[in-house]
Amino acid sequence: MKFAILSYETPDNFAARSDQRRDALFGAVFRYIDEMRRAGVFVGGAGLDLPQTATTIRLEEGVRRVQDGPYPDTKEQLGGLFVIDVADEAAAIAWARRCPREPGRVIEVRPLLPPRT
Amino acid sequence: MNYTLLIYENAAGFALRDHPDESKRRAYWSAWPAYVQALRAAGALVDGAGLEPPHTAVTLRPRDGAPQQVQDGPFADTKEQLGGYFIIDVPDLDAALEWAARVPAAPGSVIEVRPNLKPAAAEAAAAGAQP
Repeated sequence: MKFAILSYETPDNFAARSDQRRDALFGAVFRYIDEMRRAGVFVGGAGLDLPQTATTIRLEEGVRRVQDGPYPDTKEQLGGLFVIDVADEAAAIAWARRCPREPGRVIEVRPLLPPRT
Repeated sequence: MNYTLLIYENAAGFALRDHPDESKRRAYWSAWPAYVQALRAAGALVDGAGLEPPHTAVTLRPRDGAPQQVQDGPFADTKEQLGGYFIIDVPDLDAALEWAARVPAAPGSVIEVRPNLKPAAAEAAAAGAQP
């Protein structure tokens, strides 16, 4: 069963990517990915660039409105996601718990829709 | 260059997934494979997934020096919630925005387009190369 592990990060978490905390931050993420790979649960994922690099398109009836900046307008923003394939929700939460901890970082775990085609 | 299209849907958008009106339900579910096919035909599809609705989420919040607190429900307390994503490989932001505008999500949905960080290996090499 596939789950997404979504990492919501604070402005300070994002700042750590480019200051003296950078190596420790990415090192922890790479070790986490490596652990998931060795356990055979890693499916994929993506690290996202900083929220200020985002562009947002709002779909209205017949109209597409384009704006700079991320959605939503909250303090924490999605920083990246992992997709894992595990037996059940408990196993997914166990992996989410092992995601590197940073002050303020919140992890959401959500099942993926089963493939329909 | 890889971009992620984050698809935020509102409650009405999520409701289309099991709408009692079969034609609406069908319209929702048939639009996505067509979009995926178009991405694939253009050689732009890297990855993607639909997420189960927000109420199926579990959220882990940090607590100083203690195990994380696990709560039912999604993290963001917003009207629109992440419903799925695509990772696409296109030459530039304009091309990514064109694909984003074609996402067959219901009116009221919001598509966020964000460049991806480089793949982990390249990132590690870049970090290692720094003094």
